[in-house]
Amino acid sequence: MRRPVLGADQPMPDAVDRVVGTIRFAVDHAVPGMLHGRLVSSQSPHARIVSVDATEALAVPGVRAVVTGADIARDPRVPHPLFGVSRPDQPPLATDKVRYVGEPVALVVAETERAARAAAVLVDVEYEDLPYVTDPAEALRPGAPVLHDQWPDNACGDWRLQRGDVDAVFRQAEHVVEHVYHSPAASQVPLEPFVAVAEWDDAGSLEVWSSTQWPSAVQRVLAHMFDRPLDQVRVHAPPLGGGYGAKGQVKIEPMVACAALLVGQPVRLELDRVEVFHVVCKHEATMRLRTAVDGEGRLLARDIDLLYNAGAYGITDPGAAGNALVRANGPYRVPAVRIRSRAAYTSTVPSGSYRGAMTNQVSFAYESQLDEIAALLGKDPYELRRLNLLVDGDTYATGETMHDVHFIELVDEVASVIDWHAPPEPPPSATTVRGKGLAVILKSTPTPSRTECRVELHADGSVVVFTSSVEMGQGAFATIAQLAAHHLDVDLSRVSVVGPDTARTPFDTMTAGSRTTFSNDHALHEAAAHLREHLDGLARELLGWSGPTQHGDGCVSTSDEGPVPYELLLAKAGVDVVDVTGVFQSVGGEGMKDPSDVHGHTSVHWHQGAVAVEVEVDLETGKVEVLRCHGASWAGRVVNPARVRQQNDGCMIMGIGTALYEDLQVVDGQVVNPNMSDYMIPSVLDVPQALTSRALVSDDPAAELHGVGEMTIPATAPAIANAVFRATAVRVRDLPLTAERVLSAVRGREPQEGA
Amino acid sequence: MQILRPSSLLEACHLLESDPWDTRPLAGGTALVLMLRQGLVAPRAVVRLDGVDGLDGLEVTPHGLRIGALTTLTDVAASPVVQAHAPSLAYACSRVGNLRVRNAATLGGNVAEADYASDPPSVLVSLDAWCQVAGPSGGTRDVPVRELITGFLTTTLEPGEVVQAVVVPLDPGGRRATYEKYISRSSEDRPCVGVAASVQLRDGAVRGLTVVVGAVAGTPQRFDDLTAQAVGTTLGPSVRRSVASAYASAVDAMDDARGSAWYRQQMTEVVVRRALERIAPVAAGGGA
Repeated sequence: MRRPVLGADQPMPDAVDRVVGTIRFAVDHAVPGMLHGRLVSSQSPHARIVSVDATEALAVPGVRAVVTGADIARDPRVPHPLFGVSRPDQPPLATDKVRYVGEPVALVVAETERAARAAAVLVDVEYEDLPYVTDPAEALRPGAPVLHDQWPDNACGDWRLQRGDVDAVFRQAEHVVEHVYHSPAASQVPLEPFVAVAEWDDAGSLEVWSSTQWPSAVQRVLAHMFDRPLDQVRVHAPPLGGGYGAKGQVKIEPMVACAALLVGQPVRLELDRVEVFHVVCKHEATMRLRTAVDGEGRLLARDIDLLYNAGAYGITDPGAAGNALVRANGPYRVPAVRIRSRAAYTSTVPSGSYRGAMTNQVSFAYESQLDEIAALLGKDPYELRRLNLLVDGDTYATGETMHDVHFIELVDEVASVIDWHAPPEPPPSATTVRGKGLAVILKSTPTPSRTECRVELHADGSVVVFTSSVEMGQGAFATIAQLAAHHLDVDLSRVSVVGPDTARTPFDTMTAGSRTTFSNDHALHEAAAHLREHLDGLARELLGWSGPTQHGDGCVSTSDEGPVPYELLLAKAGVDVVDVTGVFQSVGGEGMKDPSDVHGHTSVHWHQGAVAVEVEVDLETGKVEVLRCHGASWAGRVVNPARVRQQNDGCMIMGIGTALYEDLQVVDGQVVNPNMSDYMIPSVLDVPQALTSRALVSDDPAAELHGVGEMTIPATAPAIANAVFRATAVRVRDLPLTAERVLSAVRGREPQEGA
Repeated sequence: MQILRPSSLLEACHLLESDPWDTRPLAGGTALVLMLRQGLVAPRAVVRLDGVDGLDGLEVTPHGLRIGALTTLTDVAASPVVQAHAPSLAYACSRVGNLRVRNAATLGGNVAEADYASDPPSVLVSLDAWCQVAGPSGGTRDVPVRELITGFLTTTLEPGEVVQAVVVPLDPGGRRATYEKYISRSSEDRPCVGVAASVQLRDGAVRGLTVVVGAVAGTPQRFDDLTAQAVGTTLGPSVRRSVASAYASAVDAMDDARGSAWYRQQMTEVVVRRALERIAPVAAGGGA
C-alpha cells in the first residue's frame, strides 16, 4: 500500500524550471512570421479623438501598420468590437474618445520591437479635451461628465440587500456607531507583464496565446467579437509569471487579435511596466458602516453603504459591487442588515479582480469597526468576535443558512499563536510602542461555476489529466496531479497534466476565486468513478468477469479474479487508451439574480480566514513594523501542506503591502506612480521575522476541500490597523497606514494631500 | 541611438563636448537606462565609460581617499580602505537600493546624476569630498561635491566634462561620522530623509560639526551656521535637540510619494537628532 498522496508534501514538477527561469511562460511564446506591437496610449483623462496622424510613424523602416480604434470599428470582420465579461463596454482600442490616461489609442505593428517602439512616439494624436471626473461620488452626481453615453448616470452596479426592520433596531439600540473607511486603488503587480500573441489562418480560425487566468472567457469573447464559432477560436494559457487577479477576464487579447486580422500576419504584444499599471487595478472604495450593538456588544443591526470606483470600464463591474455586498456584513450574526453597494465609472484605470477581490476593502472596514466597538464598550476584541461570529446553523445577512463555518476555531487559532492575552514584548525604546491586533473574514466563492477534467488512462499505465485551470505559480498542476492520483488510486509518478488549450482541454470557468483545488477535486472524483465503471465494463465484456469489482492501488479485482493492474487489463482487452471526463458544476447563486433585492443562496461554500499580528510603531516617525504575523484559513482537507502554507504566507506578505505602502495615486486624472520605484510593494526585508500560518482541517476524511489562495490577505490590513490602535490609541480609517498618516494621527493632525 | 565606445577618457570628453545636448555618458546605467526606457531622455548617442582607462582605482593618496568614478557602490561598501577611512560612506553605499542596483551603479555616476533621493551625495558633502573632473582640454579640475550639485539632476559640470574620481579627505584624527537613512515605505525604497553627520572631536569636545540632510530638497542641505553652536560642547542632548530643531526649520523641504514637506521637516528633526546621538561622545549619551 502506498503512502496517502493527499496531505503529504509532493514536489511541484515545474518548481525548478520556475526558479531557474527555464519555464516557458506566455511571454516566451513566439510564432513564425510574427510582428510586434507597441501601444500608443492616451495622454488625456477624457477627450474626443480628433485625429490620429500616423504618417511619420509609418515612415519608420519596418513599420507595417498603425491600427486605430476607428480602423477596427469600420471593419466588417469585427461585428461586435465592444467587449467585457461583466458588461460589454470596452473597445479594443479607444474609438471616438478616450476615457482615461493610459488607455490604448493605437497599436503600432512592426517587424521588430525596436521599430515599433521608435514609431510609437511619432504617432500624433490630436485630442479635444472633455471635462473629466475621477471621484466616484462626484461621478454619480447629476451633471457629472458622462463616460459612456449608454450609461449616462455613470452607474456601473447598484446592489441592495435588506433583512429585518433595520431602522426600528437602530431606534432602540443601546449604542450606535458610524464610521467611514477608505481603501485606495492598488496594483496587482504580477512580475510577468500582460502578453498576447494572435494568429489567424487562411480559413478564418484564430489562435491566441495569452497571459490569462480565464482562457475560456477569452475564447468566448473573441468568438463573439469576430462572430466565429467557438471551435474556430483556440486559446492557449501557458504558465503565468503571476496573476493575482490582474490576468482575469479579458484584457489585451481583443486588441492583438484585431491587429493580427487587420494586418494579415501574427502579432505579439508585450506591455511594459508602466503600461501594466494602466490595464487594471484594485477597486478604490469608500465604505460607511453604521452598526447597532447592545451593552454586551452583540451586533443587532447594520446599515452599510459602499461606493466603488469602477474606473473607465467595467472589467468586473457591475457584478463586482454585488460580490462586495454579499461579503460586506462579515462573518457575524446580525439580525437586521441593510446594504447598498454601488460602483461608478470614472476617468481612471479600470478596476478588476485583485487577490481577495471585493473582500479586502470591506474586511478592512468591518474588522476595524469591530475593534472600535470593542474600545467603545471596553470589551476585549477577541471576546467580542467570539460573541458574534457565525456558527453552523446561523442565518447570514443574505438569509442563507451557514454550514461548515469555522470562524471561532480560526480566531482561537490566531489568538493562541499570537499570545493574545499576554502583553506585547517591551519595546526597544521609550519612543516605540507595541500592540497586537486580529481580524477574521469571510468570502463567497464564484457560484455557479464549472470545471471539467478529462482523464486518459494509457496502456502503459500512465495517466494524463487535461485541465483548463491555469498554472500561475500557485501549483495548480501539481495539486491536480495529486488529486488525480488520489481519486484514481494510482502512483503520483504516473500522472501528468496538460494545461489550458481550448482545443484540447475541457472547460473551466476561470482560475480565480480560490476555486481551482475545490472544483478539480469534485471533477476528478467523478472522473475516477467513470474510469472505474469503464474498466469494469472492459473486464466484463472482454475478459468475461462477473460480480462486483474492487479497485485499489492501480488494480482491479473481483472475489475470483485479480488483482489485475490497469495496464494489464488494457493490454488484455487490446485497448490503447481509456478516456473519461469528470464534471463539477456548482449550482445556486440565485440570491444575486435581482440586484435590487439580494437574498437567498449566494455561495456554494464560504471561504474563511483569520490573521493576528504584533506591530511596533515608532511614535516619532509613525512608521509601523509588523513583528509577528500568524494566519489561518479553513481548508477542510489539505492536498499539499507546503503549498497551502505558501499561499497563506504569501497572502499576508501581499496584505502587508496594501496595509502599509500601496496606493495607486491619481493626480489631475493621471496615475503618478506607475512604476516600481514610486509604487512600493513589500521587499523581502519587510517580511516579519515571525511569519507563520496554519490551515485548519476537519476530522472527517471526506470533508470538502476549500481553496486557500486568498484567505489571509483580507484579514491582514485590518489586523495591522487594529494592532496600531492598540499600540497608539490612534485609529486610522484610510489605507495604507503610511508613516506620515500614522504620525499625523498620533499628533492629532490632518494629513497632507497625497500623504 | 548610437552607442559610442571611446578608447580614452579624453576621447570620451570630446565625444560628449561635440554634441552636449544629445549625448549622454553611461557608467553603471542604473539611472540612465531607466530614463531611456521611460522616454524621459532620447539622446542621439550614449558614450560608454566602462573600458575607459583612468576611471577606476581605489587608493589612499596624500590628498585623501581617491575612489575612481566607475567603482561600483558594492565595491565602495565592501572596501576595507573605505571602511577604515570613511565608514559613513561605506555604510551609505551599502544601503542604496538593492544588491542588483549596487552591483551596477557607480559612485561617479551617482554624484554626476545629482538625484535628490539618493544616499551617497549627502555623505560626500558631510565629509567635504570633492570630485576630480576631467575635461576636453585634457586637464582636470577639483570641484567640491557641495558645489557640484546645484539642483534636481543639475550640476556645474561643463559640456564634455566627466567625473573621473571622488576624493574624500582623510580623517586627521577624532572624526566620528554616520549616515542615518530614514525610509518611510518598503525597505528597498529610496530615503525619505537621509542625514549624514560628521563631528571632529578633541578631548571629548566638538571642534567642528557638519550635518547634511539629503533627499528632502533638490540639493544636500548643509547649514554650517546652525552647527556652529555645537563647537566647544560635548554634543549633549540639548545641543543635539537644538541643532535638529534648527535644521528642521531651515531645510527647504519638498513633497513626493515618500512624504509631504511637513512630514519631511518633522523627520529632519528626528533623524538629525538620531544621527547626532550616534556620533556624540559616549560621555554625552551618544555612541549608541
